Amino acid sequence: MRADGTRVRSPVTTTILVTSIVFLFAPLAVVVLFSFNDGGSVTLPFRGFTLGWYREILSSTEFRSAVTNSAIVATVVALATLVLGTLAAYGITRARSRLRPFVAVLLFLPLTLPGLFLGLSLLVVFSGTEISLSLTTVAVAHLVYVLPYYLLISVAALQRLDPALEEVGADLGGNAWLVFRRVTLPQIWPILLSAALLAFLLSFDEFIITFFVIGPQSTLPLFIFSSLRRTVDPSINAISSSLLFVTIVVFAVSFALTVRSARSGRISVEPDVVGVDA
Amino acid sequence: MSTTPARVHLDGVTKRFADVTALEQVDLDVADGEFIALLGPSGCGKTTLLRIVAGFERPTAGRVVLGGDDVTTTPAHRRPVNMVFQRPTLFPHLDVAGNVAFGPRISRLHRDEIRRSVDEALALVRLDGYQHRRSHELSGGQMQRVALARAIVNRPQVLLLDEPLSALDLKIRLEMEVELRRLHREIGGTFIYVTHDQREALALSDRVVVFNEGRIEQVGTPNEVYREPRSPFVARFVGDANVLPVEVRNDGTVTIGEARVPVTASGTAGAAWLVLRPEVVRVEPVDGGDGVRGVVHDVSFRGTGHSYRIAVPGLAEPLKAEVPGVTDHHALGTDVSVRWDPAASRVLPRSGGD
Repeated sequence: MRADGTRVRSPVTTTILVTSIVFLFAPLAVVVLFSFNDGGSVTLPFRGFTLGWYREILSSTEFRSAVTNSAIVATVVALATLVLGTLAAYGITRARSRLRPFVAVLLFLPLTLPGLFLGLSLLVVFSGTEISLSLTTVAVAHLVYVLPYYLLISVAALQRLDPALEEVGADLGGNAWLVFRRVTLPQIWPILLSAALLAFLLSFDEFIITFFVIGPQSTLPLFIFSSLRRTVDPSINAISSSLLFVTIVVFAVSFALTVRSARSGRISVEPDVVGVDA
Repeated sequence: MSTTPARVHLDGVTKRFADVTALEQVDLDVADGEFIALLGPSGCGKTTLLRIVAGFERPTAGRVVLGGDDVTTTPAHRRPVNMVFQRPTLFPHLDVAGNVAFGPRISRLHRDEIRRSVDEALALVRLDGYQHRRSHELSGGQMQRVALARAIVNRPQVLLLDEPLSALDLKIRLEMEVELRRLHREIGGTFIYVTHDQREALALSDRVVVFNEGRIEQVGTPNEVYREPRSPFVARFVGDANVLPVEVRNDGTVTIGEARVPVTASGTAGAAWLVLRPEVVRVEPVDGGDGVRGVVHDVSFRGTGHSYRIAVPGLAEPLKAEVPGVTDHHALGTDVSVRWDPAASRVLPRSGGD
């Protein structure tokens, strides 16, 4: 920064920035663009605009059931995470037990495990206990996988909350549950909801763990993978674009909740990223 | 005070955190309707004691009795006390009325009754008409008034105040002191007020409890604590004081500088502290009399008089003197004679370690 507050723009850093952005987003743009390409190939040249590929995948019952399965699993996982994760986060930040740090480490541990390992070990558990593989086992596996991410956000939110507010609530006669509902939750619900939406997304496009523990059904990422193994057909672009679209919409809602939370004077987990002064 | 039963009775309250002792065997009775100030430097344990009465901390040993009930193990939300915190901590998701109604809503009162008591409480803190403001639309002083209303609306047996004015500007603070005294008169409740500001403690309370390092140093009316400090710590902490190490002779005199001056020690000879409030020290021109001789080391105009620091040979620190009136003013470097009425000084025993 110069003395007058403007940043020094170096041509080198600008070039690196632009290159990185192009590298990150160009493939996405190509996939989306070619999902509208009126032609049988997945590469150039672009022959004209069509919604044909979308029509084709929507008429496929396999695609529709894969999307439905993914949506059901992700919704169940997000709701279960919201409840269990909030309880766990509350315990991690408020419990007076000496076991607290150990429990916290255990709950965050799956974050460090490779998906491959998680998938394999869960498969061993399920087959060892003779639980037949289904969407339920997928949901359980996803819960193990997304819970630490949810905890990262919700624990940070609870830690940022002024502890005096909860003391005031108790002082005015509220027991722990009432204080949680009427003092804590009103401050942090947008962040919890935003974190639950992130849990939805993580589950919605999870592939590796799902691959190990799924039964006869299919989810959207597995459907994409199996389509690729058959033929490379432009409809794959439409399928991928659909996945991207869901991701963007859910992420935008999640992001908007965080911004709103920061603007309304509530605590925010990432005010710097959002660019709003809390 | 002995005729009315104690509203708050603390019996041997001790609190240890890991290896630090915050409070050591504190015994204290607070009478019904009394405004009591817990005064001491930061870290002396006064806030810990308040939090123990509120129920946020549990004492390591000792008992807390409120209105005859032992509440030592009762959680905060079931105690008939309310607290006003140091920082104005309003619930940001609620407006002023919502904040004040928090307690009454828990008691499941009827809606009209809640509204009436909220309006009453806001009127008491002179914020009628602010019901629908949000906390970010209020000044610091107004927020603290809302916090007061939120506490008194529950008609607590005891109102606990943890340095409620320390986050405010001086001007607002002085206004709020007047408000607090008026509020105490109007609702007639029992107030326990924690502060490190001795001026505030003396101005507000019926009795002052001076704390030092987790122990009570002295309990008394502001006048007693100021005029008859029981220890050099209290003398120095409450008000300004010259605390001089002296040797009292059998005839009740001490030597200060080159002068031999009488003190009011009742025959107790030996090592002592002589406590002299600056306002009892008179500064006079040298007249060859029996005063303590010194040189004006510093002088500053205070509006109502002059503040002096008089260097006296043999004293480590210059003597502080507050002299009223604007006419007799001794210039810097002038030789002066310092006197005081022996009855206005105070002699405290001094052991070798002090």
